[in-house]
Amino acid sequence: MAVENMWEITLARLDKIMEMLSLSEGIKKYLREPRKTIEVAIPVKMDDGSIEIFKGYRVQHNTNRGPGKGGIRYHQDVNLDEVKALAMLMTWKCAVVGIPFGGAKGGVIVDPTRLSSGEIERITRRYIYEIIDNIGPEKDIPAPDVGTNSKVMAWIMDTYSMGKGYSVPGVVTGKPISLGGSQGREDATSRGCVYSILSTLKVLKIEKHTLDIVIQGFGNVGSNAAKILFDLGHKIIAISDVTGGLINKKGINPYKLGEYISKGEMLSGYPEADHIEGSKIFEIECDVLVPAALENQITGSNAAKIKAKIIAEGANGPTTPDADKILNENKIFIIPDILCNAGGVTVSYFEWVQGNLAYFWGKREVNLKLRDIMEKAFYDVYDCCVVKKIDMRTAASILGVSRVAEAVVLRGIYP
Amino acid sequence: MLKKIECFIQPFKLDAVMDAIIEAGVEGISMSEVKGFGRQRGFLKGEVPNKLVKLLPKVKLEMVIDEEKIEEVTKTLVKLCQTGEFGAGKIFVLPVEDAIRIRTQESGISAIV
Repeated sequence: MAVENMWEITLARLDKIMEMLSLSEGIKKYLREPRKTIEVAIPVKMDDGSIEIFKGYRVQHNTNRGPGKGGIRYHQDVNLDEVKALAMLMTWKCAVVGIPFGGAKGGVIVDPTRLSSGEIERITRRYIYEIIDNIGPEKDIPAPDVGTNSKVMAWIMDTYSMGKGYSVPGVVTGKPISLGGSQGREDATSRGCVYSILSTLKVLKIEKHTLDIVIQGFGNVGSNAAKILFDLGHKIIAISDVTGGLINKKGINPYKLGEYISKGEMLSGYPEADHIEGSKIFEIECDVLVPAALENQITGSNAAKIKAKIIAEGANGPTTPDADKILNENKIFIIPDILCNAGGVTVSYFEWVQGNLAYFWGKREVNLKLRDIMEKAFYDVYDCCVVKKIDMRTAASILGVSRVAEAVVLRGIYP
Repeated sequence: MLKKIECFIQPFKLDAVMDAIIEAGVEGISMSEVKGFGRQRGFLKGEVPNKLVKLLPKVKLEMVIDEEKIEEVTKTLVKLCQTGEFGAGKIFVLPVEDAIRIRTQESGISAIV
């Protein structure tokens, strides 16, 4: 999963954007460097009595617009360069949707699937203890990411709260609802993605009652996006996951498919659709393609075969730069990841606000507020794209970077 | 964020007002002929009240617009409807939780543009 030189690629993309913004050399240097990088050793007593040392990171790229915000990843391929790159992308993402956070990211080099729940809990608690002075509701607020979930977030909240001597729900987001999690957090990323798709239909003047949708990935983002679009009356004509792909021109019911998988069955065995190879999913003619799986799925080798009108990037970084070029030449409208999947961080922001206020909203209120923020962000990016005559991805990056640069300039350099 | 404008104006201002707010970017308006009174209880200057209130004919306009347009639309309404006299009317701005276009099921801002 780790991309080779992800940090270098991210920096190269940033340099291009900064060039277009004609920022001063000093500000360029400032934006390239993460503000704080923490590396900790996490000693943990394993179930068999032995002691293991894990390596953990937390990087705060920028905190000029507000406290750092970003997930914690538990994966065997985690490395400092990847964490730095992801922290930087969080900075731009928060700025694009206009929520008052900077960017951060954390990770521990561990394969959580090979450890017991108790071992993961001890890793989490020791990791948080090691970085406790650097996180907090007003400093840096972690969230779930690959390999972490609401249970891990509950341990983080408990560890931090025990250290402080009182309950601090605002230190972390993605908590269970009973501990101060937000309504609507579960499907927030998908919902935000759908709002972006609906706004796209509006600006492209596509008036079609039933869109043909193809979704790659049936995890949290993919399955919820499928359900929301299905409820809106659109047709999910193909879905894939690691086990393979399904196609049915009459439409696949994502609720039934979800039930089928929850019984322990594999997606590829679902009886109410034809089977195709997972990699063929991109070649299907459709209105909207939602890549909602891993990074680097749409590449130079398969981009030319894509027959979708709109690509809504539910996943982070699903499109490589060379694929981007081909898609733009083919006039496929891309809703870039930092805009399209920002629904998750937006509802995280709502969770932080609610936790700090100790006053909680209903699901409808959360969803309406999310729609407001997503639509505003979409039109901000789209306007920038039209005015500057650039593609949506560049427009989103320009908007994000320029907002952060403005904050840096306004605050000035301390002392 | 969606807002609703409900305004009560003098009937003879209607045509001018409609044209101007369409110019200002409002996409849809509902109009109704109503009767009402305000602080003057419907009595004109110099008139001697012979009952508690008098209902005067007014026109009520309703429109749902994006909050970014509120300033421009209300300014236009005020400019066109001012008469310098009592009874020129009132403008109310209300929050709108949601909007749905029935034909397409589009919601929120998409439902009104």
